[in-house]
Amino acid sequence: MANLRDEEFMRLIADGAGPAESEPAPSHLKAKIYSALVRRQAESGPLMSLTKIKACGEELCVFEELVRIAPLGERAKSLNICRVCHARVLAEHMENAPIYWSGCPYVELKKA
Amino acid sequence: MTSAVEADDVRLVAAVLQKDRKATAEFVARYTDAVYAYVHTRLAPQHDLVDDLVQEILLAAWENLGQYRGASALRAWVMGIARHKVEDHYRARLRAPEPIGDADNDPDTPVTFPKFDQLLDQEHLRKNTWRVLRGLPEQYRLALIWRYWEKASAREMAAKAGKTEKAIERLLARARAEFRERWNHG
Repeated sequence: MANLRDEEFMRLIADGAGPAESEPAPSHLKAKIYSALVRRQAESGPLMSLTKIKACGEELCVFEELVRIAPLGERAKSLNICRVCHARVLAEHMENAPIYWSGCPYVELKKA
Repeated sequence: MTSAVEADDVRLVAAVLQKDRKATAEFVARYTDAVYAYVHTRLAPQHDLVDDLVQEILLAAWENLGQYRGASALRAWVMGIARHKVEDHYRARLRAPEPIGDADNDPDTPVTFPKFDQLLDQEHLRKNTWRVLRGLPEQYRLALIWRYWEKASAREMAAKAGKTEKAIERLLARARAEFRERWNHG
């Protein structure tokens, strides 16, 4: 072992140590990424309507459900309503944001 | 034949491309932890850059989802994008002027490691390796991680960093010497 070259030494270190363990991503980061993706999707045209999402068997949050059953056109049901929701603001700025209702994507990301 | 996992990946990708917001949330929930863990270790200890890079990777993955054909697991496909983005980061950092170093070391010079027996203890090895890496100048740290954990050759690193192979070998030699010094006397 005494005359190992630098190169061999570094290979042994790399094989033995490996990258450090890492914690899961913070939930506020997941929330920001989700918001950014949906914002980008909405910029290029309407999102899938809440009516269609529900028909696919997905769970809607209480606010999405209210919009879905409201007497509005499909265009309105395709808007990014999370943009004006307080849950989004809380989730993007806090770890363990106090949001608990089911069907909310930000609540689901907090659990993930 | 497509596996059940890949079929599920294809379903998820199709739903995201149709702008199903629930599928988009599922996409973020499924892959952010893996991308974060990868970037977190590759950029250590510069954790202030991790969040931005993770977001950039997920956005790039979403922008290119239309090219995903289900030939491999979506996770592997996303991690491939993560690797490219981390390499872009290394490349940008290594293109900056190198830190002032001593005279060039000969990479072939045999050296001794009086504390090598400590390598037998895996936990000690891991902790000591990270302690030493954290203390190194950024370019040395990135060069060592790129070379020994990402298994990039000096030639590949040189091509990507816009430097000569000789310059990368000199950088690696200085990085190894500094690592060795801190390992033994840190």
